[in-house]
Amino acid sequence: MSLIDDLEQLEAQARELVSEASTEEGLEAARVALLGRKGELTGLMRMMGKLAPEERPLVGRRANEIRAAVESLFNSRMEAMRREAQERRLAAEAIDITLPGTRPAIGHQHLISQIIEEIEDVFCGIGYTVESGPQVESSYYNFTALNAPTDHPSRSARDTFYVVDNAPGSVSHPEEHAHGESDILLRTQTSGVQIHTMETQEPPIYMIAPGRVFRPDTADASHLPQFNQVEGLVVDRGITFGDLKGTLDHFVRAMFGEDRRTRYRPHFFPFTEPSCEIDVSCGVCHGEGCSFCKHSGWIEILGAGMVDPNVLMNCGIDPEEFSGFAFGAGVERIAALRYDLPDLRTLMTGDMRFLAQF
Amino acid sequence: MRVSYEWLKTMVELPEDPAELVREFVRTGTEVEAVETVGEGFDRIVTAQVVGKVAHPDSDHLWVCQVDVGRFNLGEDGEPAPLQIVCGAQNFSEGDHIVTALVGAVLPGGMEIKKGKLRGQVSAGMNCSERELGLSGDHAGIWILPEDAPVGMPLAEYLGTSDTVLDCEITPNRPDCLSMTGIAREVGAIYDRDFHVDLPAIKVEVGAPVADELSVSIDDPALCSRYVARIVRGVKVGPSPDWLVKRLAALNIRPHNNIVDITNYVMMLTGQPLHAFDLSSFAARDGRRQVTVRAAGEGERFTTLDGVERELAAGMALITDGERPVALAGVMGGMDSEIEDDTVDVLVESACFNAGRTSHTSRDLTLISDASIRFERQVDETGCADVADVACALIEELAGGAVAPGRVDVYPAPREIEPLTLRLARVHALTGAEIDPAFIERALTRLGCAVERAGEDFRVTPPSFRPDLPREIDLIEEILRLWGMGRVEATLPAARNHVGGLTLEQRQLRRIGRILRASGLNEATSFSFAAPGDLARIGMTDEGRGTPVTLMNPLVAEQTEMRRSLLPGLLASVAYNEAHGTSNVLLYEVGTLFYGRERASLPKEVRSVAGVLSGAAAEDTWNHKHGALRFFEAKGVVEELLGQLRVAKVRFRVAEGDGYAFLQPGRAAEVLSGGTVLGWVGEVHPSALAELDIDMPVAAFELNVEQLLRAARGQERYQGFSSFPSVDVDLAIVVDESVTYQDLVQRIQSAGGKLLAGARLFDVYRDPVRVGVGKKSMAFSLTYQAEDRTLTSEEVERVHDKLVTKVCRAVKGEVRS
Repeated sequence: MSLIDDLEQLEAQARELVSEASTEEGLEAARVALLGRKGELTGLMRMMGKLAPEERPLVGRRANEIRAAVESLFNSRMEAMRREAQERRLAAEAIDITLPGTRPAIGHQHLISQIIEEIEDVFCGIGYTVESGPQVESSYYNFTALNAPTDHPSRSARDTFYVVDNAPGSVSHPEEHAHGESDILLRTQTSGVQIHTMETQEPPIYMIAPGRVFRPDTADASHLPQFNQVEGLVVDRGITFGDLKGTLDHFVRAMFGEDRRTRYRPHFFPFTEPSCEIDVSCGVCHGEGCSFCKHSGWIEILGAGMVDPNVLMNCGIDPEEFSGFAFGAGVERIAALRYDLPDLRTLMTGDMRFLAQF
Repeated sequence: MRVSYEWLKTMVELPEDPAELVREFVRTGTEVEAVETVGEGFDRIVTAQVVGKVAHPDSDHLWVCQVDVGRFNLGEDGEPAPLQIVCGAQNFSEGDHIVTALVGAVLPGGMEIKKGKLRGQVSAGMNCSERELGLSGDHAGIWILPEDAPVGMPLAEYLGTSDTVLDCEITPNRPDCLSMTGIAREVGAIYDRDFHVDLPAIKVEVGAPVADELSVSIDDPALCSRYVARIVRGVKVGPSPDWLVKRLAALNIRPHNNIVDITNYVMMLTGQPLHAFDLSSFAARDGRRQVTVRAAGEGERFTTLDGVERELAAGMALITDGERPVALAGVMGGMDSEIEDDTVDVLVESACFNAGRTSHTSRDLTLISDASIRFERQVDETGCADVADVACALIEELAGGAVAPGRVDVYPAPREIEPLTLRLARVHALTGAEIDPAFIERALTRLGCAVERAGEDFRVTPPSFRPDLPREIDLIEEILRLWGMGRVEATLPAARNHVGGLTLEQRQLRRIGRILRASGLNEATSFSFAAPGDLARIGMTDEGRGTPVTLMNPLVAEQTEMRRSLLPGLLASVAYNEAHGTSNVLLYEVGTLFYGRERASLPKEVRSVAGVLSGAAAEDTWNHKHGALRFFEAKGVVEELLGQLRVAKVRFRVAEGDGYAFLQPGRAAEVLSGGTVLGWVGEVHPSALAELDIDMPVAAFELNVEQLLRAARGQERYQGFSSFPSVDVDLAIVVDESVTYQDLVQRIQSAGGKLLAGARLFDVYRDPVRVGVGKKSMAFSLTYQAEDRTLTSEEVERVHDKLVTKVCRAVKGEVRS
């Protein structure tokens, strides 16, 4: 028996061992038995020293070939076994991926706040600031400075909530009230913020003022005694009615969609002149007329106009030097239109089922 | 204002299709709320002929008639057959042509005609009077048509009454459009067309002049700027002619008698409210009668012609005969001075009462009339005399009276209208449109202005019936609305030298919402109103919350004040959710509180953020169970919020005393930044929850937004991480119950020095035997790490031992092995 024969026999033996091994442990044990430090192949390799020098290169080369072949035999078998084991494990770990996922419980923003933020973002995008003012207001800021006549019906206790005045005559611009109404009221419109802003800032003014307003309307499906408006005011040199249109066209399309059309209808408000109401084409019928738009094809969305010169003068701004426009929109109305809300009172209950829808 | 298309057509040329006029009205600022086709009310009402009439066998006043309705009733042979109708009228004979309502017809009053039996006799329709058809006040019997009237023709077709009525919304600045004349003028301006108004003239004036019999005095010109009175003697009160009734009916005005109908008709035609008094209701003294306009005394009583006795307030304007009131000026006449069937002499009043006073009177008495609506928007006083003449001419013509010569006209301060300068450049500058000067001149002229060119500009004298045009800007509005807002090119302002965007505070406010939502809370909004007992009910005191801001005219008892805490509103939402089967409630609100001040008119408005947590964070699922939301969950939300906002020196302090009676003692904390109290967090007191019918525990917090944002530091500088390994060592210390976590962790941190990188509490354990009564074991995982080297185990041991000794000594604790 030559050493080569021994080696070749060993190789055959290795093939047998590899094919017989059924576990990773068994295979490893066989590998150690053949190739380990005390293994059979290692033993045979040590015998190389006893060969004649002329035989060594040949036998050495053959020995190395056989060793490499055996090692690769073990390695590929080991790798295959590991792969199979992993496949078995992964198969066992398969799950019903249609089971519901583990959702983080993130809260929802109130529908009205979402719309207000959206409007703020639209106007901040064209360089507006966001202003605010007090909700308890004097009649000067809510009415008089806005050019509302002293006898205007909106000043009556039927249309305005008045509050007890703890210090009559102490506000700036105090006013007399003949009919028992107080000088202090819950603002009925955000328009008073126009006055506060013009009193404290120099033009150019580009601002919106979202906020809560109050009117003595008994709560029902389409009325709330408190709701939200967004007021807008621009005062600058050379402002035109065309600027009003361009601005509000942009707003309407940003809020309702690029395909919407607008319609400007002349109207009357005490604090703007000329005044208009703005309709947006109905999103349901696209202007054809349907029950949603009461068959007119249009939905009223904004009141607006050029700031009345009296209002500018009340705030110390020269109407010959500056002009401007103002507008107002009801946030609940936008919400009702966009989401087809059947009852505005759901906005006020804090009903989790409602809040989580938006 | 209802506008009859047929009537308007007699005044100005109109488009064939009313829809086209509607579009033009809307374009130019007259909103049309509804378009009605009049005559629809005459559906299934036809002309007919009585072909048989016999007395009802079981009645002494009913008749059983056979009525031919032509093709509207066909017999078995397909030929027209008479209908049997039982009729109670006595003014007709066989052969008369009449009007019959068929089965299924609905009369203008809403009565539906049904087939039935009257005392045993079949009746399949109803023979109608003019009054039943809403055509006249005449109800002497059924309407007898001329002999040549066709049989079996729809009534609307027979009358030629089909009319279209536009229900127009007139804005408060346009009193002139509350009349057919004003509307016709508006149409003329829109289409650049002439319009004309047929105004009858008095034929003869006879008898004693008005001034010989009547004096008029106005106590206070502030009540009434002009009063014109005329007298028509010897009138015959009776029903009005058809044409007049029809015109009024289209405008929804019910017929009364010819005199009253004429005053209403002239009002609708001209916009000037008129009143016709029975002259005899003004007491005659030595052959003279007196009309006095005076202010009512406080509490004075007066019965208006609707039969209601009303208590008047001081300052309301009254018409009196010198002593006794006869009318509530500008609003409604009196019961005793009405025109009755036996009225002979009529006093026609054409006056201008003060707009504001009329508005207050009408509003305070909740009494709105066609007259008050017009006076409160300003009537054109310059027209009073002419309009009185028109009314007298019609009375002369239709009621046969003799118009007394002259009139009494008290007009203390006739109005002068100054011309205005209208600058072309200003029109262009404000509209942003190059509107042609020729258009401007034409449009203003059509509206009734006197227009003169002055170089580039115009001198414009507005008409007396347009009190809304005192300034140049008002003229510009008229020009723009007629020219067309839709034609103005849309542009965006240049906004030179202006920047916008949210302020830091506004961005932070949005962040507060985002952090709370990320913490699982949903945003709610509750009413800013409150009830007086809201705070006391849950054990909250007034302290630090000012005085209540009280509404003078609340709508409901639960909303008589303004809120001073967000908690009651949020708790109401918890109760609402519980009552509707939702037990997991996580809500927050950012809102304004109103702290009234003793000596100030305006309250302090304070922004607050509050949250409530009740139940669990979510429903349990197949792979997740959620624990109950209690104090630490609420505190965790507050800690996350303060952490994200980088609030400095956050501390929690036991909240106790009366000020926190709404929280469960021992589960309530004040939230501080340094020495400033930002708010509180705690579990709501079970008694408060019981008051609100809430069954589940509720953890809550409320923080002052201004204080919170002031304490927020914004972004801080980057801090590096050590790249050297850290060593974790567990330490359990047994301490008295009185030692708080905060005490212990502060001791640990100060004792650990720079090498202690973290101390995390991972267990609190109590056991009377293993730990001891009144004691607790608090287990921390301490992390040691140096920034500049790998710590040796000896080094860690040395630092840790020192820490343990120091901490145990400070808190009188021992290490639990």
